[in-house]
Amino acid sequence: MDAADVLIIGGGLIGCAAAWHLARAGTDVLLVERGELNAGASGQNAGSLHFQIERRFLEHGEALADQAARTVALSRLAIAEWRDLPAALGDDRLDVAMQGGLMVAQSDDEVRLLERKAALEARWGLPTELIDGAQARAIAPYLADDVRAASFLADEGHANPRLVTRALADAAASAGARLRPRTALRALVPAPGGWRATLRRGTADVEVAAAAVLIAAGAWTMAVGALAGVHLPVFPIGLQMNVTERVAPFLPHLVQHVGRRLSMKQAHDGNVLIGGGWPSRLARGEGGFDLARAPMVLPDSLTGNLAVAAATVPRVGALNLIRTWTGVVAITADQLPLAGAVPGRPGLFVIAGGSGFTLGPTLARVVSAEMLGRSAGDAAAAMALVAPARFAHLNAMLA
Amino acid sequence: MSEPCYDLAIVGGGPAGQAAAEQAVAAGLTVVMLDEQARMGGQILRQPPLGMTVPRWLDGRGYRALKRQLARAEALPGLTWSGRTSVAGVLREAAGFALIAVPTDGAPGRRIAARRLLVAAGCYDLPVPLPGWTLPGVMSAGAIQAFVKSQRLVPGERFVLAGTHPLQLILADQIVAAGGEVAALLFAQAPAAAAGALAHHAGSALRHAGPLAAAAASYVRLRRAGVPIRFGRTVLAVEGSDEVVAARVGVPGEAGEVIACDRVGLCFGFLPQADLPRSLGATARWVERTGGWATVADAWQRGDVPGLYVAGETTGVAGAPAALEEGRIAGIAVARDAGRIDAAAAERAVAEPRRRLARLRGFAALLDAVADPRAVVTRLASDDTIVCRCEDVTRAQLLAAAGGVAAPSDASALKLVTRAGMGLCQGRGCEAAVLRLLAERTGVAPAAIGGFTPRFPVRPVPIASVGGADCH
Amino acid sequence: MARVADTARGVAAEIMVDGERVSFHPGETIAAAMLAAGHAAFRRDRHDRPRGLWCNMGTCCECLVLIERDGEARRVRACLVDAAPGQCVTTRDGAA
Repeated sequence: MDAADVLIIGGGLIGCAAAWHLARAGTDVLLVERGELNAGASGQNAGSLHFQIERRFLEHGEALADQAARTVALSRLAIAEWRDLPAALGDDRLDVAMQGGLMVAQSDDEVRLLERKAALEARWGLPTELIDGAQARAIAPYLADDVRAASFLADEGHANPRLVTRALADAAASAGARLRPRTALRALVPAPGGWRATLRRGTADVEVAAAAVLIAAGAWTMAVGALAGVHLPVFPIGLQMNVTERVAPFLPHLVQHVGRRLSMKQAHDGNVLIGGGWPSRLARGEGGFDLARAPMVLPDSLTGNLAVAAATVPRVGALNLIRTWTGVVAITADQLPLAGAVPGRPGLFVIAGGSGFTLGPTLARVVSAEMLGRSAGDAAAAMALVAPARFAHLNAMLA
Repeated sequence: MSEPCYDLAIVGGGPAGQAAAEQAVAAGLTVVMLDEQARMGGQILRQPPLGMTVPRWLDGRGYRALKRQLARAEALPGLTWSGRTSVAGVLREAAGFALIAVPTDGAPGRRIAARRLLVAAGCYDLPVPLPGWTLPGVMSAGAIQAFVKSQRLVPGERFVLAGTHPLQLILADQIVAAGGEVAALLFAQAPAAAAGALAHHAGSALRHAGPLAAAAASYVRLRRAGVPIRFGRTVLAVEGSDEVVAARVGVPGEAGEVIACDRVGLCFGFLPQADLPRSLGATARWVERTGGWATVADAWQRGDVPGLYVAGETTGVAGAPAALEEGRIAGIAVARDAGRIDAAAAERAVAEPRRRLARLRGFAALLDAVADPRAVVTRLASDDTIVCRCEDVTRAQLLAAAGGVAAPSDASALKLVTRAGMGLCQGRGCEAAVLRLLAERTGVAPAAIGGFTPRFPVRPVPIASVGGADCH
Repeated sequence: MARVADTARGVAAEIMVDGERVSFHPGETIAAAMLAAGHAAFRRDRHDRPRGLWCNMGTCCECLVLIERDGEARRVRACLVDAAPGQCVTTRDGAA
């Protein structure tokens, strides 16, 4: 029987970040990952650091938009988190760039939507600036002539998903955390003083006792929760993204579109990444979705996303697409993250759902503090919004 | 203008594609053939542009049957030819396949629907990382040959050719015939090794005296022309700052001697073009000698993805005559599966092609054994040699990443860490070398490690061209 | 670099490559025209070293150049695209 203070399930950005925070606080951390580190959504996402209220929250009525607006407090924390992360990790290879982001509008309806969004953000203290087309092109000369307005947020940007998790993993290992890729969780049951897990590495099963468990398993959160006998309502979504060949720098900002699905930025290496929530098709297996297989690229998402990109930033039209890839992200029923202690399951914690790259380091830090029995500080109000307690009714009748 | 849903889309206009098209059109199927070249023919019969007239173009005996087949295919009524077209990728759709097809000049693309798909995409030269191989002037043997055959250009003045594949005899012969100079022709294998492989396959060698005779005739002509042909020697490094000025030549591990030249051609074998079947999830087999992934086909040239057929070098490099037979079988299989001919007629039709194919595969096995590059290709790169040409990733960088804490153990994870394979070519250039290096490092065979995750698109295509590729 | 003498070609025309005139015959690819004129470098790599064409069959993508024609810019493989009158080819635009 092996033992650890904390067992972390999942070797993505959140798991590695939590392992770092917990280990450097003196906790004995064991992190297990079924595949390779950073192989899921943490490495597959396009690396946006986006803090404006997303289009997905604006297209389903006022209630959702208002609720999303209340998480602006988390975004403000995340801005500071990302600004500090390279120094905190002592690593300048994360390609963190925060030179501002524009969410653009090209039609009258879109301009109105942008105004509504900016008003919400102003109410919750996010310093978004509403500008007209000419002002937008003054900041971002690459924008199409028919961009009518934009909201600009100086703190938005991007980081490199290939490097961030790796750096967090290295930091965690240096702080003493044990990282075990290619190790699968087979069972997770409550035991005196915490939890007992059965892990499989190669063909051997190993038992581990842990005082606390953090589930940071992305799209697999629901399945891991089931092993622990708890509903964690996080649902897999297949997305697809695109990237161009490398070119000389011309696009310093994060570019999003308020009326159409678009998120675009130029990475440190020079490639332009193009996404924005276009769906891919999740593979189907016998029992439902098969998350072990990559989702399939959808032709309409491909042509649709690239057409919007070229219409918004004409210059990318000349560049070659070199890769379209699919990934699986996880969202909750209310699209807000799920982070904190699981009610009724002492010692069980979870972080999953929604904007995992942008908010991941912040959620990992705050939940780690909670696991160490420390105060969430100025994050407390926002953390209450995303706490698993809001889904406690699902587990009230589960034994 | 609406383009119909085709019964069959063929990717590749070489011998396999032509033979399949002939069978499918004869069975009354609608067929579209796509190829990046302007004219049909494939690499083996890469035709000169229509604006050029070439007397006695490829008039060697070995080309005759292939040229007859090409003439028939070009005259096929009802075959829709789409040249100068890249197939960026093939995506599954309810009715079959959606091909994202983009003109090579970056004009707007189109989406082509097809019930069945034949990938007969040929092969490409094995990239061999060695010091200086990224200098302008170092080319694959296939690159040089295509300039001579099709563009009627000798793309340099003084060539050093190095490799293990007998094709370089024919290439050197063509360079000399076109007026170029071959300063040295180097076979890395010792004469004894080549002779040993021949002896081991002696029966096969005798049965295939014809194809071997072409190489032998080239050998004699080259000797007569004074071209130095040396065994047990290879290019150790290429020298120059802006362009090739010399090749350092010798035995791996030794200093070697310097030969002045402005072009170096490398000819160590060929890898299947199998990105499209791989991206569709078809099972592939690691090719031990050269590396690369050959798509697995059944006796009817069907891949293990519904509606997918594969023929020619995509299924393993066996030469143009074998490709032609596989294409014929694939075309008959498509006609059968589409209900245009019955099972008994199909069996009768494939009997003779299968017999010829078996014989031709015997010759391919012989050639593979003679040309085996393994003893040399892994010994040429130094630590600072670029392995991934697109992203400038060196052997040392790959070794460092594959050796770290919680180090990646598969090619895709190593790609994420190092960028090797993330560039324009989609990893075609470095995948074999990366897998060999990982295998060396982990002790796991490349076939068990698995290659880069295949991604759309398989060829780089301008964003605006794909964005414009909506359904017509 | 020599065009093979036995071949009959159409009347030569010109493209611009990095601001220099390069002559071509109808049917020649941009790559063939460039090599015939002594332009062996098709791009610069991440360390600003010159790179040449490797495969000449659309597979390696080492010969990607920027072409402009009628105001439209596209990055294309020089080995697959015919030279055409009025074409402007730039080899240095691209890799960051």
